[in-house]
Amino acid sequence: MSETLRQLRKLVLGETWTLPIGVACALGAVGIYRLLDDDDTWWHHAGGFVLLGLVALALTASLAGALRARRR
Amino acid sequence: MLACGLEMLEALAIVLAVGISRRFRDSLIGAAGAAAALALLALVLGPVLISRVPLEPLRVLIGAFLLLFGLEWLRKGVLRLAHLRSPSSSFKEFVEEQEELESLPLPPPGQPDWAGRTIAFKGVLLEGVEVILIVTALAAHPSGLAPALIGAGAALIAVVGIGLVAHQPLARLPETHLKYVVGIVLSSFGVFFAAEGLGVSWPGSDAALLYLAAAFLAISQLQIHILTRETEREAVAV
Repeated sequence: MSETLRQLRKLVLGETWTLPIGVACALGAVGIYRLLDDDDTWWHHAGGFVLLGLVALALTASLAGALRARRR
Repeated sequence: MLACGLEMLEALAIVLAVGISRRFRDSLIGAAGAAAALALLALVLGPVLISRVPLEPLRVLIGAFLLLFGLEWLRKGVLRLAHLRSPSSSFKEFVEEQEELESLPLPPPGQPDWAGRTIAFKGVLLEGVEVILIVTALAAHPSGLAPALIGAGAALIAVVGIGLVAHQPLARLPETHLKYVVGIVLSSFGVFFAAEGLGVSWPGSDAALLYLAAAFLAISQLQIHILTRETEREAVAV
């Protein structure tokens, strides 16, 4: 049973914690920014690219982690 | 369709391995049980999500799920193409599963093979959960239900077709590259939906998916290049 749950977690969240944490941080950061910022004109037009940048950073961090793990 | 097809292919590898090593009847019973459980999950999950959750948070939720799946596939694709991970192969999984199953004793004829049924059930259920989540996420977008269901249906027909003439075609599929492309597509959809849910209006509307995919392609190709160079440098140093 615990093996099935472990596999389910791996299927939904993936093999590493870096990506789910990175995605949560990216979405959380832009969500908080949206709550605090009154003027959302620039966000309306350019916010998507900010999110793309944060997501790319999360992907890069997960790859760096894989490279570090391989060196060990 | 491609994402669902690749997941179903992995499930097919398990069902074939159980069928060939043990009995096809038990393998199909296990797979049918999992398909029934998945249908129940889809019937519960889809309507609850669409009717109970407001549109904006729903888009963020859909985006988050698609990003989780897409980025994971993209990460594995980058590592495989940079030769830091072995290539993806349902055929290899099929052979490994078959070897493992051959070591288990088979019950006498006429008696149910619970080991075979359980392995087929578990394999189809676990791969199917991902299919359900992807289809539900895409179907929850306005006007997304029909394309998502048509795509999943087409994938199912294609995989059943492969299953009927398997297993040689399984060995010839360029799975590493297919999964890398699926990673790019799902990640693009993920950023698109999540940003829309957070109040973004994409320049070019739906055409944004094209430049998002181009951006993910460029970013991942750069990462493959950097990782390959890094490993070559390490190999020279050793």
